[in-house]
Amino acid sequence: MKQVVIVRYCEIHLKGKNRGYFEKVFLENLEKALRGIRHEIHRPSGRYIVDGFDEGCAEEIAARLSKVFGTHSVSVAEQVPADMEEIYAAVLRIAPAEGTFKVQTNRADKHFPLDSMQMNAAVGGRLLSDRPQLRVDVRAPQHVLSVDIREDGTALVFSSLIKGAGGMPVGTAGKGMLLLSGGIDSPVAGYMIAKRGMVLEGVHFHSYPYTNMQAREKVEELARILAGYTGGMRLHVVSVTHIQEEIHRRCPDEMMITLLRRFMMRIAERIGNEAGAQCIVTGESLGQVASQTVEGMTSSNAVVERFPVLRPLVGFDKTEIIERARAIGTYETSVLPFEDCCTVFLPKHPLIRPDLAKVEKAEAQLDVEALIAEALAGAETVTFGG
Amino acid sequence: MSIYLDNAATTRPSPAATAQAIALLEDGFYNPSALYREGFAAHKRLEEARRAVLSHLAPAGGYGLVFTSCGSEADNLAIFSAGHGNIVVSGGEHAAVYSAAEELARRGREVRFAALRADGRVDEADLLSKVDGETALVSVIHVGNETGAVNDIAALARAVKAKNPRARFHSDGVQAFGKIPFALASPVDLYTVSAHKIGGVRGAAALAFRKGTPLHPIIFGGGQEGGLRSGTENTFAAVHFAAAAGEACGRFHENYAHVRALNACMRARLNGELFTVLSGDEASPYILSVATRLRGEVLMHMCDDAGLIVGTGSACSSKSRVSRVILACGVAPALAEGVLRLSFSPANTEDECARAAVILNRCAAELAERMR
Repeated sequence: MKQVVIVRYCEIHLKGKNRGYFEKVFLENLEKALRGIRHEIHRPSGRYIVDGFDEGCAEEIAARLSKVFGTHSVSVAEQVPADMEEIYAAVLRIAPAEGTFKVQTNRADKHFPLDSMQMNAAVGGRLLSDRPQLRVDVRAPQHVLSVDIREDGTALVFSSLIKGAGGMPVGTAGKGMLLLSGGIDSPVAGYMIAKRGMVLEGVHFHSYPYTNMQAREKVEELARILAGYTGGMRLHVVSVTHIQEEIHRRCPDEMMITLLRRFMMRIAERIGNEAGAQCIVTGESLGQVASQTVEGMTSSNAVVERFPVLRPLVGFDKTEIIERARAIGTYETSVLPFEDCCTVFLPKHPLIRPDLAKVEKAEAQLDVEALIAEALAGAETVTFGG
Repeated sequence: MSIYLDNAATTRPSPAATAQAIALLEDGFYNPSALYREGFAAHKRLEEARRAVLSHLAPAGGYGLVFTSCGSEADNLAIFSAGHGNIVVSGGEHAAVYSAAEELARRGREVRFAALRADGRVDEADLLSKVDGETALVSVIHVGNETGAVNDIAALARAVKAKNPRARFHSDGVQAFGKIPFALASPVDLYTVSAHKIGGVRGAAALAFRKGTPLHPIIFGGGQEGGLRSGTENTFAAVHFAAAAGEACGRFHENYAHVRALNACMRARLNGELFTVLSGDEASPYILSVATRLRGEVLMHMCDDAGLIVGTGSACSSKSRVSRVILACGVAPALAEGVLRLSFSPANTEDECARAAVILNRCAAELAERMR
């Protein structure tokens, strides 16, 4: 008995003339996800088949590939010669002892003596007499036993169907700079954008010595988790300590966050220009905190010269974001209690609706270019996975 | 290399003790429960270590000693061994006692917390008012790990027993053993000590118990340590502990005088406008707790960058920036956020302390200016 893993993909078939490109990137990402495991990937038609791996690796391969964006679903299948007796023996091995089922045959090899319907009836009939506790239900069966008769003289028999991450292959939709704090939102925002095929580079701002090394370690862990979905991620770590001290010294208290965010946007765009990115991604959600108002967004957008700012969570409630954070596995890390830079010099009453003209006037007290240059000069880059 | 003034967190392991223990690790690694010659030899080494540690704690005969993996485990063993009745602990307990008592409260036990005085010692009158005929266990830390406050546990234990002779008295002596003058004597039933605060390694601690004190194991298994603490014995750490304790206790008086001079040097040199000393004059010289109106952790990081390692009351977490113990001493919240713990070892020098004071004064002044 030989096991293989079947990978089906999502929207790539919609891509018309670009389909070849999408498939190529997807294949590269599948290969990347299987690094360290002996395997071969084939592409017969409309899907990928992974084989040539060591015994016992099928589940791990399926689990890894189900996390690759672009994957619709994954199955672990038995590959047998396309012969009725061999196929039925495989069906017996994977069939449940009781419950409802249906057999679903797909016949690519039209020379096979039975057509799909005949095959369903033949396999189903034998199974009913061998396993009297089973019942057929073609509408809503508990178990679907799939038989896939291929053109190469083999058949694939499987019942498992693992839901894939969905989306588009990472690398097919450009590159974005994700502002990654230690919070719950930004990793989810990154996940959602990466799912649409975008390569991400993270930018994390810290205020050591006002924040600690544990806070940075937590952000690195978040980047590591995201890298598991995106096939690797670079994280730029930038100190904004001096910027915050200068704002604190020279500008009105309540403008701390508004002004700080403008610096973050500028720094992210400049790093992004160097990295060949095309946009900025943030985890802002409308009205969630005082600074995440449309006026706050206007104020921070105003300093971004060329990039669009994508805010995939803008219409999400906190509870929806938390649900997604739990699903992608970042929540437990995000809630570790370390402070990030936004809580340093935190004003009692941050500006809720900053007026752009006033913000610009306050900012005129700062040597913006020198502060940005200083922050960029001290930036560090860490790479995770990939 | 940085000046290390966080010795209450852990100390540098004694090289002589390490050499002894390494030799054991190489040649005497056998399981002390095994019956062959080599196992029995390991067993003998363990028992020697037990006698050695105990000899520095109490006069021979009255007390036994069970090795545990850490001070927290020894504290838990003591607290969870409490018989029927209420439990009284001081508000200045280390989390290993305090959280264990809170756990007992969650399980339905009545737990009473005694107030602290401004210098961190337990308020004796309040403690005694909480002890009654139903009290099963009283636990008072010997030297407060955050303030250095020294409780006169022998006197407290006597007073407790005068009110209720059946009440057991436990004390966490982790910051006291090998550092301040004390000999375990009859009113104290249970006493926790730990190796890594006196030049030992993590992995070795012990609960000394007055013979006849009932104890209930919290780890079950092969019945090691007289059935009180199952699990293959850590002979390496126990032998290391005994050697380190011998070293610390052998030089006890000169260490004490030296550390007292270090403490005085630091007190004299800290800028009184920036720092308020929280530790009382009678506190253990090994711990000097000071407060600023700045955020303690930020100051700690600045000192770290400047080559001085000091401790903070608690980490900069958004949930608890202030210490329960410091607040219980009645320190104002604005000061409680800015607590630093300077803790010494005999290996520190006066020159180091003088340089440390310069760094502390400079960093605090700079931070005050930056936050202004």
